[in-house]
Amino acid sequence: METSEKEPRIGVFVCHCGFNIGRVVDVPEIVEYARTLPNVVCAQENLYMCSSAGLNIIKDFIRKCDLNRIVVASCTPATHEPLFRKACEEAGINKYLFEMVNIREQCSWVHMDQPKEATEKAKDLVRMAVAKASYLEPQVEPELKIKPSALVIGGGITGMTAAISLARQGFGVHLVEKEAELGGMLGRLYKLRPTERDASEILRESVIAVKACSNIHLHMSTLVEEVKGFIGNFDITLQGKGSNEPEHINVGTIIVATGAEELKPVGMYGYMENENVITQLELEQRLKKVELKNPKRVVMIQCVGAREKTGRTYCSRICCMVALNNALLLKKMYPNVEISILYRDIQTYGEYEDFYREARENFIDFIHYDQDKPPTVNSNDGKLVVTVYDINLGGEIEIDSDLIVLSTPLVQHEDGRKLSSILKVPLGPDGFFFEAHPKLRPVDFSSDGIYVCGTAHGPKDVTESLAQACAAASRASIPMAVGEIKATAVKASVDKEMCVGCDACVISCIFNAIEASPFGQPNIVDANCKGCGVCAAECPMGAMQLKHFKDKQIVAAIEALLKPKKLTSSDERFEPIILCFACQWCSYGAADLAGVTRIQYPPNVRILRVPCSGRVDVLHVAEAFLNGADGVIITGCLIGDCHYTDGNVKAKDRVYVMKKSLSALAINPERIEIGFASSSEGQKFGTMITDFVEKIRNIGPNPLRVKKRSD
Amino acid sequence: MYKIVTKKELVPHINLFEFSTKEIAEKSKPGQFVILRINDEGERIPLTIAGADIKKGTITVVCHEVGKTTKQLASLNEEDCIQDLVGPLGKPAEIKKFGVVLCVGGGVMVAPLHFQAEAFHKADNRVIGIIGARTETQLIFENEMREVCDELYVATDDGTKGYKGVDFLKDLIKERKIDRVICVGPIIMMKTVSEFTRPYGIPTIVNLIPIMVDGMGMCGACRVTVSGKTMFACVDGPDFDGHKVDFEELTVRLKMYAPQEKAAFVFYGKDRRSL
Repeated sequence: METSEKEPRIGVFVCHCGFNIGRVVDVPEIVEYARTLPNVVCAQENLYMCSSAGLNIIKDFIRKCDLNRIVVASCTPATHEPLFRKACEEAGINKYLFEMVNIREQCSWVHMDQPKEATEKAKDLVRMAVAKASYLEPQVEPELKIKPSALVIGGGITGMTAAISLARQGFGVHLVEKEAELGGMLGRLYKLRPTERDASEILRESVIAVKACSNIHLHMSTLVEEVKGFIGNFDITLQGKGSNEPEHINVGTIIVATGAEELKPVGMYGYMENENVITQLELEQRLKKVELKNPKRVVMIQCVGAREKTGRTYCSRICCMVALNNALLLKKMYPNVEISILYRDIQTYGEYEDFYREARENFIDFIHYDQDKPPTVNSNDGKLVVTVYDINLGGEIEIDSDLIVLSTPLVQHEDGRKLSSILKVPLGPDGFFFEAHPKLRPVDFSSDGIYVCGTAHGPKDVTESLAQACAAASRASIPMAVGEIKATAVKASVDKEMCVGCDACVISCIFNAIEASPFGQPNIVDANCKGCGVCAAECPMGAMQLKHFKDKQIVAAIEALLKPKKLTSSDERFEPIILCFACQWCSYGAADLAGVTRIQYPPNVRILRVPCSGRVDVLHVAEAFLNGADGVIITGCLIGDCHYTDGNVKAKDRVYVMKKSLSALAINPERIEIGFASSSEGQKFGTMITDFVEKIRNIGPNPLRVKKRSD
Repeated sequence: MYKIVTKKELVPHINLFEFSTKEIAEKSKPGQFVILRINDEGERIPLTIAGADIKKGTITVVCHEVGKTTKQLASLNEEDCIQDLVGPLGKPAEIKKFGVVLCVGGGVMVAPLHFQAEAFHKADNRVIGIIGARTETQLIFENEMREVCDELYVATDDGTKGYKGVDFLKDLIKERKIDRVICVGPIIMMKTVSEFTRPYGIPTIVNLIPIMVDGMGMCGACRVTVSGKTMFACVDGPDFDGHKVDFEELTVRLKMYAPQEKAAFVFYGKDRRSL
C-alpha cells in the first residue's frame, strides 16, 4: 500500500544544535506545540539531531510510533537534508516523505535578541512544514543508463582535441566535420605566436593523433540533421553531403565544437570594392601562399564591426593579437614596410602585452581613433588614402596606403544557428552558444549531456579553446564513466483530465522536457525535466504540477501559516505577517548566509522554499493574500544567474502582472514584491527583508486578515 | 445584448452555444469568426463560427473553458445575454468543387471544421474527415461529421480512440489523390499536417485565430508572418497557406499574455464583492 494513501502519522524532531538554536528558541515549547498539530503522532528534541544518537532517535520513533512522515526542525537543508533523508530511508520511509524546517539560520541566528518572536516564528515554520508533510507523496528516483560514446561536432583543433581526450579514456567517439578536411579555422591560419610555428604543423599532430585512435569514427563532409533523445541516449541523424541515405548513430553525450567564422565586412572601408582592402584572415592566406607584392605602406584598422554600440557589442578578444602578430610577420618578411595600426583600445591581456611591446620596438605606428569619428578610406586612381582623426594628436591625418587590413570579429555561422535549433540549446545575445552558467558551469549547456567548447562559445585563442576542449571532454566523461545517473524525482507531472491542451507548458519549458502532441496533450520527457516548476506555474488549469512541490502542498503550508493569524479587530496591535518564497539555490542560500553571518532582520517573515522563483504560481500568491498575508516577497537568483536560465525573469513578469490583479481584490499592489540575491549576499537579503517589513508596516494590515463578524 | 438560445455541454468543459442574431446569421460563411464580449468589463474573444441558421436567426459557436472569459461564458445559461457580438469577421473559406478535400480538425475546432466540411460536401466534393482530441472523452461532433464526410477517421493523442496521433495521415496523403487540405485546430496539428502535405504540393489551408482585439485590421494584435510578410489574421485571413505560415512565431505570440491570463483566471470570482 502506498504510504500517501495511509493516514499521515508525522513525527517532529527538534534540534537544539548545541546552544545555536536552544539559546534563543525555546525548543521544549516548540516540541510541546508540535504535539498539538494535526497528524503529529510524536515530537522529540535532541541536543544534536544530526548526531548518530539523534538520527537513532528518529529511526527508533519511526518504528515505535509507526511514523510515515518526518519533519526535522534544525538547520539548513542545503547541508543536512541528505543526512536526514538517509536516516528516513534506513528506517523504511521514502526520502520524499521528509520535510525540513530551518529554525537556526532563519530563527535563532537572525533574531538573537528576540527569543519570544524567534520561538513564535519557529512554531509557524513547524506548522507550515507539518501541513505540507501531510500532503507529501513517496517518489521513485529514475535511473538512466548512459551509453559510453560521444558525438563531437566540429573537426577543428578544438573538436579534435576533445575527441582525442575522450577516445583515449576508452569512449567511442563520432567526430563530425562539415568540410572534407579536418582542421577548421586553424587550417587557414599562417603562423602562431610566440613560437612562430606554422599553424598547419600544430594541426598535423592532432590530425595524426585523431587518425591513430581506432575508436574515433570520422564522418567527413557531414552535417548533423536531427537530434532526438536525452543524456545517455541521443539518437542522431547525420547527412553526408552528396549522399542520399542519412546515417543514424546513438550516443550518450554531445560536444559542440563548431567554431566560428570571421566577419566579412561588406560595405565597410571599401571592402569587396577594392582588392587591396582585405581582412586579417585574407592577409594570412596571402602570406601563406606568398602572394603579397612587396607592400610599402600597410594600414590596419581595429574593431571593424565589433564593440559596436548596438548589434555586435562584444570585443572579439583575439583581433589585437592577430593584428600585432601579422604586423610583426610583415615587418620580418618586408623590413622596409611601414605599418600603422588604427585602434580604439589595444587589449593585449596577460602575456600578450609582450606582442604590443615588441611591435612598439619594431616601429609599428599606433594611432588612437575615436569610435564616433571612425577612419575613412578613399580610393584615388587606384591608390588608397586613409583619413583618420588621431585622438592623441588632436587632428586629422592622411595616410597613403597600398594595403588596408581590417580586423573583424569572429561571428557565429549559419550552420551554428541551425545546430542551435536542432540541439535545442540556446545562443546568447552575441549569437554564440550560451552556457548553463557563466561561472559555475562554463562548458555545460543547461540541457544535460550536451557541452560546448572553443570559439563556438565565443571568440578565444587556440590555448583557451583547447583548455575548454579538455574541460568539455572531462565533463562529458563523468556520466559516461559512471554509466548511469540517478535523477531527482522532482519532476513535472500532468493530470490528463484537468489539462485543456493549451500547450502553455510546452512553450514555457526551455529544456524540451514537454512535447506537444497534435491535439494538445503534453508529454513529459522525464529525462529532460530539471524540476524548476515553471510549467506548473504557467498552466492555467493547475493540471501541470511539480512533484514534491505541488499546489496542494504549497497551499497547505500557506494556509497553515495564515489561518491562525487573523486579527480580531482592526485596532489590534499590528505585526505584519510576510510570506517569502525563496528559490532553493541563491536566495535560500542568501538567507542561510544572513544566518551564518548573524545579520539581524525583523522576525516577521516566513520563508517557504521552492525549487525556483519561477515555480511561484499566481495561485500561491492569491491564496496568501486571501488568507490574510500582509505582504508576499518572492526571492530568486540574480537576473542572469538563474539555475534554470530564466525562471526568475518569469517570476518577475508574473509579479508585474499580479500587482495589477491585486487591485481587483482591493489589495495594495505594493504588498507584493520580488527581490534577487546571490547566495553570497546575506547582507542584501537581510536589508531586502528589513525594508519590505518596514514598507508593509506602514501600509498596515491586509484588510482580508481582519476577522469579519461572520468569521 | 445577444441572447443565448441554446447551451449544450458536449463533453466536460466544452459547450455549444447558439446566439440569437439574425443579422450575423444571414451573413455568416464557413471559416469566419465572431468576437464577443460578455459584459462591459469583459475581454473580447474571437470564436470561429460553427454554424448559422438563417431561419432561426442564430449562429453556433463551440467554446472550450481554457481561461477566465471562457469559464465565465460557460457559467451562463440559456436565456442569459452577452453584451456584444461582432461579426461575421474575416474572409470566408474558399468553397467550391476541388475534387477530394481532406478536412482535419482537432479539439474544440472540430465544430467549425464541420461547418466547412458540410459546405464542401454540398459543393460536390468527396470529403475525407479527420477528427481528433487529446483523449476519447474530449472528442466532439463525431456523428455530425460522419453525416457530411464520405470517409471519417478518428484519432486521439493517447490512442484511447481511433489512431494514436496523426502519423497515420502520412500514408493516407501519400497513397490517395487529395486536391485540398483544410486544417483547423491546435497549432502543432496544423503545422504537422502542413509538413506532411508539403512534399506533395497539396494546397493546405490553415485557419488561424491568434490573439485579437478589434478583429477589423486596426490594432495589429493578430499579426502573423506568412511567406515572410506580416499579415493580419482578422482581415487577411483567418485562412492562410499552411506551407507559408511561421508557426513558431505564432505559437510564441499566442502565449504573450500567459501570465495575465493565468492571473485573471486565478483571481476570477475572487474579487472583493465575493469576499
